[in-house]
Order: sequence, then structure tokens, then C-alpha cells
Amino acid sequence: MTKEIVSDLNKAGAARPRLSMGQRTSLMGYLLVAPVVICLSILVIYPFFFAIWISFTDRMVGREGHFIGLGNYIYLLNWVDFRATVRNTIVLVGSVQTLKLVLGLGIALLLNQPIRGRPFWRGLILLPWAMPAFVAFITWKLLFAPQGGAFNYILINTGLVQSHVDFLSTKALAMPSVITASFWRGFPFWVISFLAALQNVPPELYEAAAIDGAGAWQRFRHVTLPGIRHVVLVVVLLSTIWTTNSFEAVWLLTQGGPSNATMTFPVLAYYGLQSLRIGEAAAVSVSMLPVFAVLAFIIAKLLQEE
Amino acid sequence: MLHKLSPGQKILYYTLLCLLALIILFPIYYMLSISLKLPRDIYRSPSLLPINPTLQNYIDLFTKMRFGINIRNSFIVAGSATLISVFISCLAAYSLVRLRYRYRDWIGRLILFTYLTPAALLFIPLSVIIARLQLGNTLHGLIFVYLTFAAPLSTWLLMGYFRSIPVDLEEQAMVDGATRLVALFRVVLPLAAPGLIAVSVFTFTGAWNELLLALIFITSPEKQTVPVAVSYLITGDVFRWGLIMAGSVSAAVPVMVLYYLGQRFVVQGLAAGAVKG
Repeated sequence: MTKEIVSDLNKAGAARPRLSMGQRTSLMGYLLVAPVVICLSILVIYPFFFAIWISFTDRMVGREGHFIGLGNYIYLLNWVDFRATVRNTIVLVGSVQTLKLVLGLGIALLLNQPIRGRPFWRGLILLPWAMPAFVAFITWKLLFAPQGGAFNYILINTGLVQSHVDFLSTKALAMPSVITASFWRGFPFWVISFLAALQNVPPELYEAAAIDGAGAWQRFRHVTLPGIRHVVLVVVLLSTIWTTNSFEAVWLLTQGGPSNATMTFPVLAYYGLQSLRIGEAAAVSVSMLPVFAVLAFIIAKLLQEE
Repeated sequence: MLHKLSPGQKILYYTLLCLLALIILFPIYYMLSISLKLPRDIYRSPSLLPINPTLQNYIDLFTKMRFGINIRNSFIVAGSATLISVFISCLAAYSLVRLRYRYRDWIGRLILFTYLTPAALLFIPLSVIIARLQLGNTLHGLIFVYLTFAAPLSTWLLMGYFRSIPVDLEEQAMVDGATRLVALFRVVLPLAAPGLIAVSVFTFTGAWNELLLALIFITSPEKQTVPVAVSYLITGDVFRWGLIMAGSVSAAVPVMVLYYLGQRFVVQGLAAGAVKG
């Protein structure tokens, strides 16, 4: 090894030891991947662990915190706002995902039929998704508005209600309203993904099943579902992460209200940061982590199996 | 499935499709309609059809509210974040797909996990870091933090595209004397153009739409991006819906145009990249 280097150095013009082909490839690989890795180390990996650290301190804005162990977490457990947040998140994510799964699959199956103008319908489906999330949710806030809102106009003019309904400020109606708006904005991703998966199911399988006398439901159950299972699972998991973290929906529609009826993790953490209690806010965010870690591991496994 | 639809099925399917179109289009229609109404008409004479349509809201938005500045800020932030992210992601994706070295799989996995790490978890530590770097309330700071979601997404999607390009073509170029980088830029990237377009559309719209981080890092009105400016319009005692909807329409148009132009690539991208890897 030393000899080689010396002999290399002795060669005229060779300023550094020559690398083997494999070493050169490795070096090239590291150099090319380095910018992204450095970037993500500073912006994601370090902040990730930093968030966990902050959540164990009583840090405030402008003041370094002290390590207080599980103090913040014990506080969260007994805090009504936090309990409401956990409950709301389960209700919100559970309902929105169920709606998107059932209706998304239904719409994808519908669009997979031999109907006219399929590209047109697909483009139409994409609209709510192509629109910025904040625009979608502000528009829904307008639709729900007591004065000037479309739903109240329709309800009153058809005589279904006598006086204005304040969808977003009524405790029982706020969450269903957020769920509706989140569904509207989020379902196109599911439909398009399911549609792509449906088109990858070999048509011969359907023909074979039809020849064997399988009915529509049996074809769906034994040909379609197994064929799209993988994509469905990835979409459900990915979208669960996105929906849980969606700040816009709740912030723009209700800001967590009325009286915590729609409070979710990102909004509660945002309030924590606004009130300058960083340690506590970090604990709110970090308490979602176990669920995410599990989801992320399953997604990673599924995606890398492909 | 090559079967023909029976008349009954036809009626059922087209009815469902029309219902679906109504559900999708009604909010968009109402947004447009309110943006064309005078403030007094919105409350005094509510209607589904715009009566006395006017562009007054748009004029007020761009003159009194100086919305042009917000649009410019958003273009700077989203455009820069996209350029930086797509450039460094091309290099990384190429490296991870084509070159063999130790820890390659680990780096790939790491990028996937950073893609799945939610901004809701990161915004608190990032606010401390950005303050320490004195990048708060600057567009540079915002461009920088947007790489948190842009870089992993672009890299992950581009890896999918690069995998679909036959390796022979660049090997051929390298046999002809091109270096690896030349082969990447002259052979691989042109072939991956649809992928690059889809990834750029995703990244740009992601940055254009981002609200949470912009809300936290931008404090002065003249630095606000479009989502922040519009969301400040709705926090008040009186909802100036005409103005708010004019802002929403103006914010949506650039993104919708991009989606429309790149629709084919975007749909492929969603199908091929985001879900299948």
C-alpha cells in the first residue's frame, strides 16, 4: 500500500494517489449525494433530535431551558386541551380516511369503466388537489359562513332551516365541517392513485374470472382487490401522515375552536410556539412521534419491496 | 375490461359522474362568483349567480393591498426552492440509483424517512435554528427551510424516474469518452425530462402553497408570501369575502396553470413516483 503510494507520487504529474475504478465510483457517489445529505442533516435530522431534546426542557423564547425530564409530558396528560386534541385527531383522521377510502375506491372504479371523455373526468377529479390547500380551506370557510355562505343560502331558500346555521362555531357541527372540507381537498390523490393501480391489473385476469363464472362482486373481491392492495395500503398510510399534520384545514376553518372542538396537534403546537412556551409546544409535536414512526417504517418497507 | 355498458348502467354512471362534477365544481364556482361581487351585494343580496359582476375586488387587492408584492415573494421563494432542490436532487438521485458504494441503501432509506418527517414536528426546532442563524423574516430563510420537504420529495421521485432509464445509453456515452457528469447532463437528464417537469411542478406548488412555516418565519407584511397574505385577510372581525376570494383565485391561478400544463406528467408522477417509488 505504502509502496504503491510512493510509486504513484514518484510519477511525474501525479499529485495524489490514483484511485481504483471502484474507489472512484464510490467517491463520485458520495460527492453527488453530499449536498442533499448535508442539507437534510441540518434541516431535518438535527431538528428532529433537537425537537425531542427541547420537549424535555422548560425552554421559552429567548431563554435556554433546563432539563425537566418528563415534566412537559406529565403536564400534557392532565391538560384538557391536549386530551381534546388526541380525541379530535382520532375522530378527524379516522373519518376522513374512511370516507376517502370508500368513496375514492368507488370513484376510481367508476372512472375505470368504459365511459366517454375519461381524460376530461380525470382532469376534473384533480381540481381540488391541484388547488392550493389554503385556497381550498378558505373557500370552504366561505361556503360554511353564516352570512354570505352558500350552504346557508341554499338551506334557507329551500326552507330546510329557518335561521342561519353557524357551521364552524357550533360545537356539534364544527368537526363534521372540517371533515367534509378535508375530504373534498384530499380525495383526488386517492382516486388517481387507485385508478393507476386498477389499470395495472392485467385484463386477462378479469376475462379468466368471467369465463369461470365469477360475478361482479367476486371479480372485485378476488381480482381487483389483490391487484391494488399494495397501492391502497401505501396511500392510506401516506395520507394518514399528511392528514394528521394538516395545519391549514383546522387553522383556516376554525383555529381549533369552538372551545377545542377541532383542536389538532399542529394547531396546538402552533399556539404553544405563539405563547412562547417552546418546550411544551415541542412536547405536543413529539407526542405524535410513536405513531408516525410505526407508519413511516411500514411505508418504507412497502416502498422498498417494489 | 372491454365489455359494453348496458343502458341502465350508462344512466347510473353518468348520473354519478354529474353529481361528482357538481361536488367538485360548486366550491370553485362559488369562489369565483364571490370574487366578482361587490362587498355590499355579498351580504345584502346573496345569490348563487353573480349579479352586477365587477373586478373591483381584484383592483383593490392589487392596488390597496399591494398583493403584487406577495405574488412576487412567492415566485422568488417557490422558484428558488425548486431550482435548488431539483438540482441537488438530480445529483443525489443519480448517485443513489446508478453508483454502487457503501451505505448507499442507508442513505436512500434516510431520504425516505426525511420525506415522511412532518413539518408539524420540525417547525419548533427550526424556529430556534432560524433565529440563531438570523434568517428570521427573510426570504432566504424561507427558501432554506422549504428544502426540508422539497429535497427529499424531489430526490425520492427522481430516483423512480432514473431507474426507468436504461443504463446502456449512458454507458455508451461513457465508452465514447464522456465523463460520468457529462453523461448525466447530456444523456440521462434529457431522457428524464418528463420526470423533471413533474418533480418541478410538485416542488413549486408545494412551496407556493406552504402556510405553516411561512406564517412562523415571516413577520413583516412586505415579506409575506401569498398564503400568509391571504390568511391574514381572513383574520379580522369583518370578513371581506370579495377581497379574500379575489386573493384566493389569484393565488390558485399560477398553480392551476402549472398543473394543467404538466397534467400528463403530474398524473404519471403521482402514479409512478409518489406511491410506487
